[in-house]
Amino acid sequence: MGVMRIGHVNLRVMDMDAALRHYRDVLGLLVQGSDDSGAFYLKGWDEWDKYSVMLSPSDRAGMNHVAYKVEYDSDLDLFKDRLAEHGVDALLEPASHLPFCGRSLRFSLPSGHEMYLYADKERVGKAVGDQNPDPWPDGLKGAGAHWLDHVALQCPFDPEKGVNTVADNCRLLREALGFYLSEQVLVGPDADIQAVAFLFRTSTPHDIAFLPAPTCGIHHASFFLDGWSDVLKAADVMAKNRVKIDVTPTRHGITRGETIYFFDPSGNRNETFAGLGYLAQPDMPPITWTEENLWRGIFYHTGEAHDSFTSVYT
Amino acid sequence: MSGYRIELLTVGSEFFCPAEQPILKAMMQLGVKGIPSGCHGGGCGVCKIRVVEGQVRADSMSRAKISEAEERDNIYLACRALPLSPLTIEPLERLDRPLRKYGLI
Ligand code: FES
Ligand SMILES: [Fe+2]
Repeated sequence: MGVMRIGHVNLRVMDMDAALRHYRDVLGLLVQGSDDSGAFYLKGWDEWDKYSVMLSPSDRAGMNHVAYKVEYDSDLDLFKDRLAEHGVDALLEPASHLPFCGRSLRFSLPSGHEMYLYADKERVGKAVGDQNPDPWPDGLKGAGAHWLDHVALQCPFDPEKGVNTVADNCRLLREALGFYLSEQVLVGPDADIQAVAFLFRTSTPHDIAFLPAPTCGIHHASFFLDGWSDVLKAADVMAKNRVKIDVTPTRHGITRGETIYFFDPSGNRNETFAGLGYLAQPDMPPITWTEENLWRGIFYHTGEAHDSFTSVYT
Repeated sequence: MSGYRIELLTVGSEFFCPAEQPILKAMMQLGVKGIPSGCHGGGCGVCKIRVVEGQVRADSMSRAKISEAEERDNIYLACRALPLSPLTIEPLERLDRPLRKYGLI
């Protein structure tokens, strides 16, 4: 039982044609359909459920919700109770409330983000099928991203006012939803304020990350690539398509991931992320980064602050 | 190439913006500083400016960052605003970050 992985992210976009050109032609996701509200559903070629990205037309950018997939339908009842024990009122929604999904459990994180858990989603299969598959399909566009890997969320943080929703979210996910902490940043005069938290349920270093911010928002949605040469090629694809790149290919100290940060046409930050970093396991001692080294953790090569990293988000 | 001169108040610099290019992009390509640069998609709001003189045309800007009242008040996102005439503009967001008390924030 329990949470398996990130299921999908629902992003708001201001220009659907431009968004589709980006997510389909640059990231290389496969369009699976649309609905009456004008929303589009996309998946990576290596994913088997119908969608991992839902794009909703809007007059603003940002994230509507993020959803994680649990193993059994009965997990939803169990997590409803566990969340209630932690003071979080979760609502069971009927099937199809989340498009193409069975019933779902809906709640707000302490940071204000809307999160869903669900157990069933329409299955369409991998692009290479499941019988004697080739290692990759023909006709992939752009970066040819495999799957949605994780999201990083901007969480209200003002320790002087007693607000630290990075720590609140981290505690809730560990205690109520069975997530494990892989890495954290501790700051402040006594190095006891948790300013960054990376958590996982799969065997990769993170399935969700919480970052400190003045207001609630999304920092990035990240898509998986095989390795460093795919990261470099993805950057070429972005330059060809005049995508606004925030951070050119580099390595994170935290998670050891190989990365590019860039923006979709509505200004939502994306990441292409390669390298599984290391094997994350429930008994792995969590890694701690200190305040002096936190930028080394974020951008390993330069170790220097990057202004837009904290101030630019949707 | 047709375009217009853009005068940046407070920082006192000037640059040339091609007619079909967003103001922020032109500024960045010339290495001029003055308007904070972020997502270049009208979503994050860091590039907010007031157009003091001149006309612009704007592509979609996040309603969460530019209210209707602000739009009536000639406030735009520089990454989504294209010049239709020479402009005098005032950056509304700070370039320098206030001191980071907790490393990141
Ligand atoms: S740079 Fe993000 S709104 Fe202009
Ligand atoms: Fe990431």
